[in-house]
Amino acid sequence: MADAQDRAREEFFSEAQEIVEGLGRDLLGLDEGQRTGRVDAELVNDLFRAVHTLKGLAGLFGANRMSTLSHELEGLLDDMRLGRVELTPTVLDLLFRSAELYDRILQNEKEGRDQAMPEVDDLIRELHRGKGGAPPPSPIGHYELDPGLLAVLTEYEEHRLRTNIAQGLTLFRLRVQFQLATIDQALDDLKAAAKPHGEIITYLPTGAGADADSIELDILMACKLTGAELEVALALNGVAVEEVARRPVAAVSSSPVPFDRGATAEGAAGTRVRDGSEARRREALDVASLLPPQMVQREAGGAGPKVPLDVASIRSVAQTVRVDIQKLDRLMNIVGELAIVKSSLTRLSDRLRAAHISRELSSDLHRLQRTFDRHLESMQKGILEVRMVPLGQVFDKLARVVRQISRDADKHVNLVITGAETEVDKLIVEELSDPLMHMMRNAIDHGIESRSAREAVGKPAMGTIALNAFQKGNHVVIEIEDDGGGIDTDRLLDAAVRRGVLAADEARTSSRREVLNLVFIPGMTTKSDVSELSGRGVGMDVVKTNISKLGGVIDLGSERGIGTKVTITLPITLAIISALLVDVAGRTFALPLANVQEAIVLEPDAVRRIDDREVVTLRGTTLPLCFLGQLFELDGSAVVGASPGGAGAGHAVTKRNGKRFVVVVSVGSRKLGLVVDTLIGEQDVVIKALGASLKSVRGFAGATELGDQRIGLVLDAPALLEELSTSPRDARQASEARDG
Amino acid sequence: MANLVRRPGAGLRRVRQQDRGPLVEYLAFALAGEPYAAPVSLVREILKPPPLTPVPRAPRSVLGIVSVRGQLVTVIDLRRRLRLAEAQPTRRARILLVDGEAGETLGLFVDEVLAVYRLADGEVEAAATALGNEVAPYIAGIARPGAARMAIAAPLGAGEAAKKRATMASAPAEEGGVVILLDLRAVLA
Repeated sequence: MADAQDRAREEFFSEAQEIVEGLGRDLLGLDEGQRTGRVDAELVNDLFRAVHTLKGLAGLFGANRMSTLSHELEGLLDDMRLGRVELTPTVLDLLFRSAELYDRILQNEKEGRDQAMPEVDDLIRELHRGKGGAPPPSPIGHYELDPGLLAVLTEYEEHRLRTNIAQGLTLFRLRVQFQLATIDQALDDLKAAAKPHGEIITYLPTGAGADADSIELDILMACKLTGAELEVALALNGVAVEEVARRPVAAVSSSPVPFDRGATAEGAAGTRVRDGSEARRREALDVASLLPPQMVQREAGGAGPKVPLDVASIRSVAQTVRVDIQKLDRLMNIVGELAIVKSSLTRLSDRLRAAHISRELSSDLHRLQRTFDRHLESMQKGILEVRMVPLGQVFDKLARVVRQISRDADKHVNLVITGAETEVDKLIVEELSDPLMHMMRNAIDHGIESRSAREAVGKPAMGTIALNAFQKGNHVVIEIEDDGGGIDTDRLLDAAVRRGVLAADEARTSSRREVLNLVFIPGMTTKSDVSELSGRGVGMDVVKTNISKLGGVIDLGSERGIGTKVTITLPITLAIISALLVDVAGRTFALPLANVQEAIVLEPDAVRRIDDREVVTLRGTTLPLCFLGQLFELDGSAVVGASPGGAGAGHAVTKRNGKRFVVVVSVGSRKLGLVVDTLIGEQDVVIKALGASLKSVRGFAGATELGDQRIGLVLDAPALLEELSTSPRDARQASEARDG
Repeated sequence: MANLVRRPGAGLRRVRQQDRGPLVEYLAFALAGEPYAAPVSLVREILKPPPLTPVPRAPRSVLGIVSVRGQLVTVIDLRRRLRLAEAQPTRRARILLVDGEAGETLGLFVDEVLAVYRLADGEVEAAATALGNEVAPYIAGIARPGAARMAIAAPLGAGEAAKKRATMASAPAEEGGVVILLDLRAVLA
């Protein structure tokens, strides 16, 4: 029982979260619209519906604060829909603040905290004040409209009519005959045909019909075409298009609205009851039951906040299934087990063929095994696809944060997003949101200069941050690029030397990249004075750790005065990967193929030593080597009493006579040669995380089952690269710290 | 588990124990020739050791990882963790699956599983009084259960021989023998 309740609560949170996210998206659209001066009425409607649904949900689960907020917000949005309140930056701010508060309320509810949230109460009060207001004077009187028609317009339709007239569109009356049997479909088709050219404001049955099976509708439409063009565009048989004439200006009475609510009578139109409830309207107008659901729903929305949950919104939710990611993990585990069965099957089939027992039997088994392979592969792909979500999920949140931060920092920032549709594993998206948020904050706080500073150097006053995502092979690349002041490397170096992170002579010989990478060192970034001078902020070390945990790498490029670009390279999925199996000192390790570039035979004579490190030359470039057996201190290659990379290394190279291999791994633009004993082959493996007690062990992304109960460790190429690209001195210190 | 043996007469003894508090079951196992024990309720499963995969750079007390029905389990060598003398494991070695910190399942590698004892709180002596002042932080106490307290002999025993070993070869079976009760939480921390 409690279980079912918990599940329902869980559902509530995930649904509410989803709606709030959608809210944010719509608000950004509205923001855009407000700036360009063209507000999409559908967006306001969507917002209204979303808030309405939230209110219903909140009521259901006793989330009072959320329900009150929703109620007030709904009122404001309703007023906006009906044109009683104009979309001003102030109103927009209220809306954005609401979206943000929803997030926090949800968080609090989820954690079962019931603390006071004065900001919510403030907002509710403000919303309450913001509501209402007089509608702008109506231009409807300028048109020769049938008062009978006008009398039955809902408030919403009236508002749309006004808006369309204000936009200078022409009004048309269309008369169309519909077959009762097909009216739903036909009306939909008509709307679809009309949509690109204008908006259908309302429709009414005329009461005339050719026969008992058909009905004639009188449609009021605003459109930018001429009558003749509209007729062609609609391409509908028997549609009569008639332009609604404008009244001569002089004839316009000064009373703005020639129809007021009081004058409404059932008799006026004979067919519709104004201001009636949905049920009453249906009763009065038989044809209402024939109307397509969207229409009914739109009217229901117009009737105000009293109506129950929208039919359409329930339907759209039912289209998708929410799945706990752990359930998918479990499925993936099963696929992994099947992959093991598959390799056993392959071995069996090979043995059968080698034994020459029965040709027929063996080829049958072989065929079966091939089919099994194929289906297993598509199953694997299917599960992976289910786990994929577009990066837009986190980008949308970022856009809101950027708006907020740039406001707080009083900087004009234009965020340009590309590639929001790029898909990544759900887990990765979740883990990405904090690091990305952090970097956005940095880019605005420390990257983009103040307006005056920008103008002084001839840059546009509005700063630009580009957020790009794209797929590159098995990886997804996310770039955050600002056109701000860039990182002051000299001062960063000074600070590093002062802090003892770097010796003075090292500072002189450091490459630009090494200097930039200083921002990732914890001590360097948490101190405020450093962040002030470096122009790049707090916690880049945390960002880096988070990205590394996902198997990704982060790269930094910065040009003084021009800007900073952070590039994050991530694997698309964490769950299953193609791997190269290698043998080192009798142990099997797996290397994600995504990181493997090539494998070459190690020529012991070609190994040279530069800066305390073994390297080989590969097609003209220098490739640093890592002797895995030695790094992991495995049998036969443990170096006793010598520092890693010290004198023992040369010894290790020459000690064996057997051929060894160099597997070239690359992450981003960096490369490393891993020296292994044997290349075993490629295999798809399911990566499982090592237990929490092994968290501090560096160099492994997890482990995988190899069949026959054996487990192979999966090498974490990015971490190894990272570890070995720090200076040997650091590596020594790290290893001492580890051993001590 | 057909060869689990319930000792006759256990019901009679219960009367005598009523005034000493409720009975707790302890699983006794051998480490470097000494009997240790931990509450049975904390032990999820007893495994014959599958092939272990060592993890380079892991802390020394980590023997390696194994897969238990698809789940990776880190196996800890209790001898090393308790800084006891090391030796090659024998065929009788077992892995006890226990719940570690943060919901992680851990394997504890022991030399041999001996028996299950039922002990009342009153029978557990504080380690400080029994072992002097040098008490390792992971010892919860000691007990002298004797053969009479044994509820199950050689839980994983392969037959008569194992049972005999459990009752004969191990010190606690003799009257006055001492079993060291481990505080698993401290051991795993």
